[in-house]
Amino acid sequence: MEQSEPAVPLPPPLGEHLRSPRLRAAMLVQQEALHAAREFLRGEGFTELLPPLIGPVTDPGGRGAKALDVDYYGHPYKLMTSAILYKQASLSGFPKLFYIAPNVRVEPEETAGTGRHLVEFHQIDVEIAGASRQDAQDVAAGMLTHIVDHVWTAVPDVLAELGRDELDFAELRSGKFDACTHEEAVSRLIARGHPQSPDAEIDWAGERILSLEADRPFFVNDYPKGSRGFYDREDPEHPGVLRNFDLLAHGGYGELVSGSEREADYATIVTRMRESGENPAKYAWYLDLAREGIPSSAGFGMGLQRLVRFLTGLDALWQVSAYPKLPGAVSP
Amino acid sequence: MTGLRAAGFPERAVRARARNGTAEVFPPAGGYGEELYGELRDGVPDELDRARIAPPVFMPRRLEKLIELGREPGHDDVELHTSVGGFASELPLFLSAFGSTRAGSGDLGVAASRQAARLGIPMVIGENMVPVHGYRRAAADGVRSALLARIRAYTEAVPDGVGGVAVQQSTEDADSEVWNLVYSDPATRPLLESGRLAFELKTGQGAKPGLGGMTVVDRAEADRLSGRFTVRDVLGSGTADGTAEHRLRCATPGTFTEEIVRQQLRFMRNNFPKARTWVKFHPGRDVARAAATAWRAGADAVTVDGAEGGTGWAPRVFLDQVGLGLADCLRLIAASGHHGSGASDGPGGCLLATGRMWEGGRAVRALALGARAVGLGRAALIAVDEDPEDGLVRLAEALALEARLLISALGKYAPGSLGAEDLWWPGAAPAAPAPAPLSAAGPGNP
Repeated sequence: MEQSEPAVPLPPPLGEHLRSPRLRAAMLVQQEALHAAREFLRGEGFTELLPPLIGPVTDPGGRGAKALDVDYYGHPYKLMTSAILYKQASLSGFPKLFYIAPNVRVEPEETAGTGRHLVEFHQIDVEIAGASRQDAQDVAAGMLTHIVDHVWTAVPDVLAELGRDELDFAELRSGKFDACTHEEAVSRLIARGHPQSPDAEIDWAGERILSLEADRPFFVNDYPKGSRGFYDREDPEHPGVLRNFDLLAHGGYGELVSGSEREADYATIVTRMRESGENPAKYAWYLDLAREGIPSSAGFGMGLQRLVRFLTGLDALWQVSAYPKLPGAVSP
Repeated sequence: MTGLRAAGFPERAVRARARNGTAEVFPPAGGYGEELYGELRDGVPDELDRARIAPPVFMPRRLEKLIELGREPGHDDVELHTSVGGFASELPLFLSAFGSTRAGSGDLGVAASRQAARLGIPMVIGENMVPVHGYRRAAADGVRSALLARIRAYTEAVPDGVGGVAVQQSTEDADSEVWNLVYSDPATRPLLESGRLAFELKTGQGAKPGLGGMTVVDRAEADRLSGRFTVRDVLGSGTADGTAEHRLRCATPGTFTEEIVRQQLRFMRNNFPKARTWVKFHPGRDVARAAATAWRAGADAVTVDGAEGGTGWAPRVFLDQVGLGLADCLRLIAASGHHGSGASDGPGGCLLATGRMWEGGRAVRALALGARAVGLGRAALIAVDEDPEDGLVRLAEALALEARLLISALGKYAPGSLGAEDLWWPGAAPAAPAPAPLSAAGPGNP
């Protein structure tokens, strides 16, 4: 039967939150995680760029999350929901690049209680020219392993104080990651009585069920077309299936990473935009580049606050954000 | 002019074009906003109107009803309550989209919304309202936006458990993220939480199949809208009475393939899981395949707008010459076998029909050809123009009474029981009578 989400506590007033020892502990872990991520990626030959904050368009996303509008000299601009389009555009000059990117998504109010959604959040955003899905997954798994190793080396006392057990990360640190397809994940959920749509992303409750059953992180591959943005590449061997993935953490923490091979062919991008109800004219700057030729690539975004929540074992994302904004809550 | 004559040739039309050029491609711009358009066939019956409603002598279904009631059934025993695109509806009727035309988006639209709610029938809100009028408030005059005013009027008046609102989104609407705005607006939450909100993917309209929405605007409005729409100076320099110059504002029709329709529907369901999913098609020659594609992709309703439909501004050549009539659309869909008829059809088989609907006979003919409900567009606007308080309610009551009389005369007691056997096409070769649908009818059959 359906497993209900645990009750997630709500944030106190901001001043009290900023003074709490728990937030201080979380920020120490976050600082080490960021250090480790940069160390790992630079070691792999990546260049860090600073991402744009606004643009004429942004990632149209899905799951009902909205972009915020900005009036830019009379032009309707958007705050970045993700900088995916800029990542692809940058590949010609920077074939291996990453951002620590702030993103703003006005998530549906019903996600306020998941403990896993914030309106303002950050991603470790990685893109690799000429790479396959497997290449991107190798980087994501390597980076996560390196981060976990590093925080347990740098701040073991902080993690222990928060109640984390080093043994819970043993499988991960030995480099063992599982994988299944979206279709298999859907079958497992339906077999457990969870009504998961085969055409959609795994829903929050479904992710939690799969995550609780696992003892190590696992990739979910091959999401159906229509569940993701137009830039995730459709598998030429299996029409209707995308060459993409999520990486879910074990222990009920759910999705840490979303990634994919990308569409780079101009005509395919335009067609996929129409399939997702988008007006290609809005994306003129991006399509002009695509017409000239964007390198093929694969990449991913790792949610920073989700990563820190996983490392610290805290209940909710707001507990690992200094200035949390929960969906639907008007906050400073 | 030399007085040159050309008998039998459309000389006057040629001369008008020679004088006025592209302005003659359209109906007179001066009448825009006061006249409703649609196919130019005043009083001339179209193919659907030509079909006779043909009651049989032997009525096994009446016997069924007689047995059920234990008395002779009458027309009051016809049950018109039905399900329309996932909404419960008191009548096999809904209020069609008016779009952003001046006639449809002002006070008349609000009055029509309120009366549709009182009737307990669903309402469709047309495309291009937000890019033209704004969402929170109209850009120019600071009043509540047309879309929100209509949703509020409907929500205030609709009884519990019936009705629903379907909101269209065109390409230009997608730029304004209309569905996102509506879905996340606290004002629409009562509709959403009671399962009475739908989004309708609009691929075209009956008045101008293959084209996008068109309206006539003055120069000031043209300047304001030119960033979002194509605005063209094709309507001539002015009218005889010296009114301001007009511009033609064109929305894009959008590009659709089978895969694009399928994926857009899937996207709608994934992004707005609590909203119903509707699709509206123009009367294209492949409308049966389009409807089947939409139903397979999970659409809760497919609306077909016959070439007779539309309140909107359209080039004369489209009004007169383009698109399939509603009768042909419905017969194509029925012949394709992609949906059952009436109330017995399976999930995803709800077909809605629009085009010159106003009275019971045409409505019953459309229902007999497989539609679950028919939409009132121009008729609703005229009715609320006649009486903003009760005009549409009275019009619908008259239509409902006619429908009850006609359906009972056919020996049936629900719209879903109607079938192609109830219509007779004059001139068609007499075919073998349709087999009686009831095996239990024993004594009534030859």
